[in-house]
Amino acid sequence: MSHDDHHAVTIPAPGPEFVPHEVAHHFNTPVQEFQAGKLGFWLFLATEILLFGGLFAAYFYYHEMYPETFVLGGKQLDWKLGALNTSVLLLSSWTMAMGVRSAQTSQKKKTLVYLGLTVLGAVIFMCIKYVEYSAKNEHGLIEFGHLFDGYNEATGQLPWFTDHDGVMAGVPHGHMFFAIYLTMTGIHGLHVVIGAGLIIWIMVGTAKGRFHSGYFMPVDLVGLYWHLVDLIWIFLFPLLYLVP
Amino acid sequence: MSEANHANAAADGHGHGELDMGHHHVSSSAMFMTVLIALLFLTFVTVAVAQFDFGSANMLIAMAIAAIKASLVIAFFMHVKWDTAINKIVFLSSFLFLSLLFVFTLADLFTRRLDNEMHVMRSPVDKQWTHPSNLEDGGQ
Repeated sequence: MSHDDHHAVTIPAPGPEFVPHEVAHHFNTPVQEFQAGKLGFWLFLATEILLFGGLFAAYFYYHEMYPETFVLGGKQLDWKLGALNTSVLLLSSWTMAMGVRSAQTSQKKKTLVYLGLTVLGAVIFMCIKYVEYSAKNEHGLIEFGHLFDGYNEATGQLPWFTDHDGVMAGVPHGHMFFAIYLTMTGIHGLHVVIGAGLIIWIMVGTAKGRFHSGYFMPVDLVGLYWHLVDLIWIFLFPLLYLVP
Repeated sequence: MSEANHANAAADGHGHGELDMGHHHVSSSAMFMTVLIALLFLTFVTVAVAQFDFGSANMLIAMAIAAIKASLVIAFFMHVKWDTAINKIVFLSSFLFLSLLFVFTLADLFTRRLDNEMHVMRSPVDKQWTHPSNLEDGGQ
């Protein structure tokens, strides 16, 4: 079996609104291309699990060290907004799954509608997040203007944590909860934004007719990424908003 | 069967004739809807159980519900139930490595607390060192 003498493998388009897919020259078959792409993406998702895993380990460590700080910190967050965002993300995960299904069955318009709704979910999620961050900023729990200022050695204070309502005064290291809250939701939010960008990119390809029953791998992979974003949030919601 | 088709396509090498594009599992819309309803219901359960105090079991209960929700997302939305063995191993093994991280981190934490409870922490530098949080003045 020589690699040089075989012609490119082309997957025919299932209809006039679609374009054929040419299997990349370094793959022998469509199956090989699909499996290689998928295996690579699962490896990437495994590293994502480990990235967030480190943050979850930090959460559990400090929760155990300062349980009253975490319980009181969690009470400063609005669990109703958290629950609303959980529902938004679960719904968008469903529209994503339906979008992948529509691509698998060569339903171009339905794919675009479902993917568009998923992006809408991402936008609503980030808007709610913005409202939450603004409230924390106002109460001096996370002051975004001073986030990158250095530790003030003269006053012994963290510049981004002033807590001017004194809500965290009675517990040790009140800033620890908010530092972990911001880091975890911030990195998660970054994933939401990247995910939305990837979905828009997939929508452009769908509009061009690149994805259909014969070739839908990119839709499938972006779908996996979006479900991972949902997966992380499933754990963040009870840990941050309903601190056990 | 997939193996045989794969071999045929490779031997064929030109992509004409019977082109094997694999056998992808397409889930039914009804199944996705069932999973969505289950996930939303479990979110409600998460909030509902948080209104009660089960003491030290709080964390265990919250994480157990989250684990069930995560399993639903992984198995059905992420299609892992119908994925190949190698993909299952790759993804699920990340949770195995994660558990190693948790086990050693928490082992350190719980043995530390054990020392705190004895109000004494041994250090090679000081013969006896009291954790600041256990000092009468709170370590000020």
